[in-house]
Amino acid sequence: MRILVFFVIMVWIFTIAGIIKGEEKGEMNPKVSLPIEMGGWKWDGKEIQYDSKTLFSFMDGAAELYLAYNFQHLTVRRFEKLNQPPIIVEFYEMASSEDAYGVYSFEHQDEAVGIGQGSEFGGGLLRFWKGKYFVSIYAEGEGTEVESTILMIGRAVANSIPITGPESKLIGLIPGRDLGLVDKSVRYLKSHVLLNQRFFIAHQNILNLNRKTEAVLAQYLRNEQRTQLLLIRYPNLKEAGEAYQNFMKIYLPDAGGKDRLKTEDRKWTFARHRKEFVLIVFGASTETDAEVLLKATEGKLSGT
Amino acid sequence: MEVKMITRRDFLRVSAGTAIGATLGSGILGEARAEPTAKVILIRNAEVLGRQDQVQEDVLKSMLDEAVKTLLGVNQPIEAWQKLFKSSDVVGIKSNIWARMPTPKGLERAIQRRLLDVGVLEKNIDIADWGVLNNPVFINATALVNVRPLRTHHWSGVGTCLKNYIQFVPNPSSYHDEGCSPLGKIWTYPIVKGKTRLNILSALTPQFYGRGAHFFDKRYVWPYKGLIVGTDPVAVDTVGAHLLQTKRISFFGEDRALDVPPIHIIVADKKYHLGVSDLSRIQVIKLGWMEEVLI
Repeated sequence: MRILVFFVIMVWIFTIAGIIKGEEKGEMNPKVSLPIEMGGWKWDGKEIQYDSKTLFSFMDGAAELYLAYNFQHLTVRRFEKLNQPPIIVEFYEMASSEDAYGVYSFEHQDEAVGIGQGSEFGGGLLRFWKGKYFVSIYAEGEGTEVESTILMIGRAVANSIPITGPESKLIGLIPGRDLGLVDKSVRYLKSHVLLNQRFFIAHQNILNLNRKTEAVLAQYLRNEQRTQLLLIRYPNLKEAGEAYQNFMKIYLPDAGGKDRLKTEDRKWTFARHRKEFVLIVFGASTETDAEVLLKATEGKLSGT
Repeated sequence: MEVKMITRRDFLRVSAGTAIGATLGSGILGEARAEPTAKVILIRNAEVLGRQDQVQEDVLKSMLDEAVKTLLGVNQPIEAWQKLFKSSDVVGIKSNIWARMPTPKGLERAIQRRLLDVGVLEKNIDIADWGVLNNPVFINATALVNVRPLRTHHWSGVGTCLKNYIQFVPNPSSYHDEGCSPLGKIWTYPIVKGKTRLNILSALTPQFYGRGAHFFDKRYVWPYKGLIVGTDPVAVDTVGAHLLQTKRISFFGEDRALDVPPIHIIVADKKYHLGVSDLSRIQVIKLGWMEEVLI
């Protein structure tokens, strides 16, 4: 009898677990419906789909950005209105919300417009992310009417995405505005090519960034000087140590065994290895400025 | 020649405010040798753009003629084109069709017209961007004209003449690493090697700054109303990159960094020996409208 009861309980536990898992799975792939008409602009009825193999044909060579962030799928729709420029909606499905945030952060430079979990609008281009989706909406022309419609479409698309998602936890490990974090300067990076595009370090991958690493690059204003903080998380202590040694050997070979050097621009570069992290400060005006940033970051890392 | 590892510190070593091409050429990879020089024509005309930046085709055609005449040092346009092309040539005009900023059709037509004037048969001329690897004229080409707009580019820093040949390889994305530094290698492949007679950057409405994958932003496009023309693709690109840099400094008050520095231009010079990337060794002949010429 006891065996039977145990068996029933186990079946119940596994069944419930399966239901919960199934619900989570459903939530991860919610049905998102893009608008058909907005502000007089009508969808032309065509929907172009791209996967990781065909994205390059759409991107004129820029697909690597999305592929670096685990791109899954792109849907493109075009909206038209007589005597007005067409509006293009690009709806990217990424593997995770961290990836969607990464794409967004990589190009972030304009003012927020309160759409999705993070948004910006400038030069007629609306970009935002919500959950595991990154959305880009722009017109093939200018005008106040088309720009207000872009925002309307953006809000409708964002509202149709039911699930939000977190950005990378790594973002929470860098110091904030109290230490001079520059607004819109935080980049979540997944490859050395992307890192170089935002802050050129070396044309080869001297920090051993790969698909299993993640990095945050942020700018700080210290004593009216811009300083860069780079925080990289490796899969383990060993890989972090190897990357640190490689960086020191190639970038700071003249540091004399220290973790710092005043480089040719008369500014300080500091590099440290802590647990599975590598922390680097570039362009600090003084050693103290660099120390303050690193200490604050190390303090956050101690809680990981 | 093996290119040394380039790091940020190499950039810091050279003095601020100097063109990347010039500084890298002399500061990092400089070689002690009798250096060649190059000639590049920069021609501008205030009337080349009409309302809403509509290209005035006749003006553009005369600009092209003037530039090619000056480049070749002759008095008549046909005479200049005859120095570059034979009537028996099969000529591919490698253009750029990117929707947000394509090569102006009027410029393509002006080039085609002059090739016909030289006696090249119509069937032996084609204009293309994508699909050149499957295009019979390009496959059999004995000569190429390389023409595209001048703009910043997400992967290569600047989208200029060297970058324009990326469609000559079946796997363009594999040339995006390291700031597209391998782009010069494409120019050594048989389908293009030694065939490019003329390189033209359309600087009618260049884009001097951009960000990310879309890399078109109308805020950073300005009516420069110029053409940059030369036989040396590296020199033409160096002048183009320098123009964009000076515009960024003028606009932002600083040289706001591009997505990547245009390393591929220097590598095309120092590794692939395709031309001159040192501004000090490029003779820039400026013609026409000089207001806010910047260089």
